[in-house]
Amino acid sequence: MTREEKTVDGFRFLPPGLKAWIRTFIPEEDFNGYIPWTPLSKPLSQTIFSLVTSAGISLKTDPPFDMEREKREAVWGDRSFRAIPKQTTEKEIDVNHLHINTDYIKRDINVILPLGRMAELESEGIIGRLAPNAYSFYGFQWNSADFLNEAIEPISRGMKAEGVEAVLLTPA
Amino acid sequence: MITPTYEFHRAVGIPRSAAIEYPYGRPLGQVGDKKGQREVLLQVLSFLEKAKKPGEVMFLPFRWPEDPKKTVWQPPEMSPLIKFYLEEIKQARQKESEKEKNK
Repeated sequence: MTREEKTVDGFRFLPPGLKAWIRTFIPEEDFNGYIPWTPLSKPLSQTIFSLVTSAGISLKTDPPFDMEREKREAVWGDRSFRAIPKQTTEKEIDVNHLHINTDYIKRDINVILPLGRMAELESEGIIGRLAPNAYSFYGFQWNSADFLNEAIEPISRGMKAEGVEAVLLTPA
Repeated sequence: MITPTYEFHRAVGIPRSAAIEYPYGRPLGQVGDKKGQREVLLQVLSFLEKAKKPGEVMFLPFRWPEDPKKTVWQPPEMSPLIKFYLEEIKQARQKESEKEKNK
């Protein structure tokens, strides 16, 4: 795995306890399994993009992600997903997530799902096109293979139908 | 992927990781900072063009303006998971403190 000289501390914002605990999940050695890889086949200015986030964003007109069940079952996370149309702003969304402070996203969706910024890049010709939909799921999935079937597979189908060629993922 | 904790790429096969030292929940930047968000995005897109091998990590140069100890990112109430594993978290912390002391 190639690596530039390290300048980012991935644990900088974690309190000591969380930092120590999360480190127990991260191996010392580099990943040596299969990494899915598709080379970028055309310039950015011709590429169709979509955005995906695990921040628990939903439209106000859709059912919100289920926080109540997670409060009752600490290792359960909502496995569903939502399509977020590309013109959506913070005015049209709910944000539900028990592991981050959601206030900032509610004030500006672009802090995690940069639809506005990508639309600007599209109008300037820097990217080819932003696909009609972005997607949101709920990032807390504690050992759930069902999540792949219930969220990732339909998201992939949706993106394929919209001709998506590159995806930017922003985990919460 | 733009990620505050790029180290996860050692546990999961991530095609391209753009590592940014920003708090969870705001990987693109601050509320209302269109210029800053755009700069982050442009660098990530540039990485997408330049990355040649699976698993590459790019370290974005941006610095969060607040002291991390004062940066609000955690939920207002402790998550059910953290409550559930609180003892384990405390033990991990203790183990790490002992390791630091013995260095």
